[in-house]
Amino acid sequence: MANFDHQTLEYLKKLCRIDLSKEEERDIEVSLTRILKYVESLKDVNTDKTKTCRYILRGMLKNRMREDEIKNLLSREKFLENAPEQIGGMVRVPPVLKGSS
Amino acid sequence: MLPLHHLSAIQIRDAFLKGDISAVQIVHHFLSRIESYDDALGAFLSVLNARVLLKAEALDKKRARGLPLGKLAAIPIAIKDNMHIQDEITTCGSKFLAHYRAPFSATAVDLMEKEDALLIGKTNLDEFAMGSSNENSAFKPAQNPWNLQCVPGGSSGGSAAAVGARLCSIATGSDTGGSIRQPASFCGIVGYKPTYGRVSRSGLVAFGSSLDQIGPLTTTVADAALTMEVIGKQCDYDATSLDLPAECYPLPKELEPGTVIGVPWHFLENLSASSRQNFEEVIRVLKDLGAKIVEVNLDLLKHSIAVYYIIATAEASTNLARFDGIRYGVRPPECKTLEEVYDYSRRMGFGREVKKRIMLGTYVLSAGFQDAFYKKAQKVRTLIINAFDEAFSHCDAVIMPVTTSGAFEHGAIHDPLEMYLQDIFTVPANLAGLPGISVPSGYDSRGMPLGLQILGPQMCDVSIMQIAHAYERATQHAKIPEAYG
Repeated sequence: MANFDHQTLEYLKKLCRIDLSKEEERDIEVSLTRILKYVESLKDVNTDKTKTCRYILRGMLKNRMREDEIKNLLSREKFLENAPEQIGGMVRVPPVLKGSS
Repeated sequence: MLPLHHLSAIQIRDAFLKGDISAVQIVHHFLSRIESYDDALGAFLSVLNARVLLKAEALDKKRARGLPLGKLAAIPIAIKDNMHIQDEITTCGSKFLAHYRAPFSATAVDLMEKEDALLIGKTNLDEFAMGSSNENSAFKPAQNPWNLQCVPGGSSGGSAAAVGARLCSIATGSDTGGSIRQPASFCGIVGYKPTYGRVSRSGLVAFGSSLDQIGPLTTTVADAALTMEVIGKQCDYDATSLDLPAECYPLPKELEPGTVIGVPWHFLENLSASSRQNFEEVIRVLKDLGAKIVEVNLDLLKHSIAVYYIIATAEASTNLARFDGIRYGVRPPECKTLEEVYDYSRRMGFGREVKKRIMLGTYVLSAGFQDAFYKKAQKVRTLIINAFDEAFSHCDAVIMPVTTSGAFEHGAIHDPLEMYLQDIFTVPANLAGLPGISVPSGYDSRGMPLGLQILGPQMCDVSIMQIAHAYERATQHAKIPEAYG
């Protein structure tokens, strides 16, 4: 199957937006290599005619539609209490587009 | 009357209802036990002293005025710290949420408070519920009340330690791959994982959304049944919540005549000697109670860990993408760009196991590998579900031990794969959405508790609770660790 190497780790760090110390990097590389090797055992299971599992509650789960109406479940003030930075009743974020301020 | 902590939750409630004791006295009793024991045990991340005393005073007034009292009246209950209690901190065992104040309560928490439960504190857990030993808590490890050198199990280790040491009567847990049943077994108590969807996940910090389920950790099966009557309800805020009326859990003394129990002997070949001996004794007891024991073929379950660690990490990597430092978390002034905010908060906020699982989950979902890992795992999951269907066509319940052995010592397992393999008997229930209960079944040669696990078909929560109750009644293995008597 796959060959997990340092280059893959670098790629994953970018995808996950996770930065690692050198020591963490060594540990995670060794761990993931081992775990991926272990899960490769699944290739021995014949699934040629098997459907992918999508819902585990077969026949029990329905789409529950509801009216699109405003309910006051969480006030703006309460939501913003946890925000690291806010401005004018909204969450403040750093500039998203280059050249904006 | 026995000391309060020798009583079950139901006995405490009944003593309160009869007027033998006040809610404030109950709270003082358990707060003082937490004060005495929890420095060494590490079961709690926060104790809600002021809040719970106010609630207790209000409850005493309610009783004095003759108003109707709830099903959980005056029962001291701890909440795993990945479930919200409005206006209290929910850390999820992570530095990322060290200061996060919940803006609303989890549905399960709300339902319990509506029935007059007294919420006494928030319990320790592996960070984001990822772990089997509680050693991944970002704050402190919890210890096993039977032996402080041993782990209490995980991820609901704080909840299991708290109930095991009788620092509260009931605690909630969440079970993604065994996180209620395994710590309950390690700490000598009852742990219940309901059918997927039975309890609303609203207000539970998500880990693996197709696997997560909230349930109780208690000292008796009857207390677990009582908790389920309260929290097992349909909820509009969880789209996967089962649209069924809440169940009642009558618990007859005897096993229902004609009960057939399946044992997957071939799958159980790697049991330690003392676990095997214990399990054979369990079977003898169930036969004496009138059960018919049959062998079932669940050999496919040997692939459960591989399937689980692909699906659970894939779901976790998606769920944990929301932790980006924008809406909550810490943002130091030197982070000027969006990327700097993301990188800083995820680097500082997540511990190593969480980083590892996010990376594994991202890998199995990434372009080029999704078919080989994630989709393959979901296909094998289908086969596992089919295998259970086939097994349950021959029996009413399947039994196995909860774990391959009793609680291990802190630091004993370094290898991540070996740690993951600890969950081999518990993850199948999550993969198939089945209800499962862990009941004390005796002690190993070191005196550490062992547990029996009973699994049933989806929706058959009541019948496995009844089997567990009959077994518990016949054996009475649960006891209080000597140091906490």
